[in-house]
Amino acid sequence: MVNGYHPELLQEALAIRAQEAVTPYAGGTDLMIKPDEKARYLFLNKVSELKKITEDADYIRLGAACTFTDIQESELAPEILKEAVSQIAAPAIRNLGTVGGNICNGSPKADSALIFWATDSKLRLVNSRGERVIPMSEFYLGRNETSLQADELLAEILMPKTGLSHYYYKKVGVRNALAISRVSFAGILGAESGRIVNCQTAFGAVSEVVIRRPDLDAMLSGKTIEEAKASKEDYLRAYDQVILPIKGRISAEYRKAVCMNLLRDFLDSNGI
Amino acid sequence: MVKFMLNGQEVVSKSQANQRLLDVLRHEFRITGVKCGCKEGECGACSVILDGKLVNSCLVALGSIEGSTVTTIEGYRETERYAALDKAYASVSAVQCGFCIPGMILASECILAKNPNPTEAEIRAGISGNLCRCTGYNAIVKAISIAAEEGKGLW
Repeated sequence: MVNGYHPELLQEALAIRAQEAVTPYAGGTDLMIKPDEKARYLFLNKVSELKKITEDADYIRLGAACTFTDIQESELAPEILKEAVSQIAAPAIRNLGTVGGNICNGSPKADSALIFWATDSKLRLVNSRGERVIPMSEFYLGRNETSLQADELLAEILMPKTGLSHYYYKKVGVRNALAISRVSFAGILGAESGRIVNCQTAFGAVSEVVIRRPDLDAMLSGKTIEEAKASKEDYLRAYDQVILPIKGRISAEYRKAVCMNLLRDFLDSNGI
Repeated sequence: MVKFMLNGQEVVSKSQANQRLLDVLRHEFRITGVKCGCKEGECGACSVILDGKLVNSCLVALGSIEGSTVTTIEGYRETERYAALDKAYASVSAVQCGFCIPGMILASECILAKNPNPTEAEIRAGISGNLCRCTGYNAIVKAISIAAEEGKGLW
């Protein structure tokens, strides 16, 4: 088959990737909207190593070719991720679309990618010679632009096992099903003995890449709820300065207002 | 050459690996119960069951289904389950123009295969990717719950 390869093993896939200019194909739901007649697809949907969900001491490890349905049905996948993927498109698309494709497509509107940003997940990229594990922020270079090399494939997403249970997620779209996010927001706030130990927020569909600013979220870390309340307006002002939505089909003003409303609601829901 | 099971028979497609399954089914195999609505996964008219799961055949490249099993309405209509859905849809006039119905029936099958006693909300979620511009959905939702009730034991 000249214009497509369907390897069963990751090693075979990487050998092809090293030798030829192929387009990795996981679920196909983004690629097939505009099929490229000249493309040679490297079909990854039957590579079993890319379809596993496992755990180790620190991480839940999601194979890049796991579909959104696989995530929804997994006992290991964190709730925050399950909630976000259950709102993607509709069942028939969730049965095909994958977390790896959602990331590698490079869109700031990718609903599962937003969760990987908010949770400070890491990506394990492999080629035929070895691997590298990098944070989301090193993967995204711009809109539809990633640091994935021509001989590499995304093998796994590594989600931290702890600290994700207390979360807030909202997707704003025009309808319940089959909606592309106009704005999406995920926030996680963890507290131990009355003090905030982690505050992690991420804004999707707003800018060229997802907005994730740990430096600003640090303003609330280590504080009690009362102390965080006192810093609330400073925190909101800081975000007000860095959220600079791009103008698209939806006005930048609208996106900005929704982002700030969601951030405020996230704080309110935590008593801040 | 891509080999797969189509409605219970092994077939070999001579189409290119990057062709849409939708086009291969309609043009090469003349399986026209698979409807082409939008070619972007928005309407569900081209739904087929691929390895037991509902998918939009417009978003499936042929090369990705080597060794897989595909069921379209042409294969599904030979089953007892189809007969139960057919009767239920007819009983509440859940079909008007009919264009969405092959996809809608296969979506109904996937809802009931996973959960033989779905709630109304579960039914609505299950058909949320299948657009119907005639019925307003209420009759279709009702038909699926009637099929679940009358077809007890089939799913």
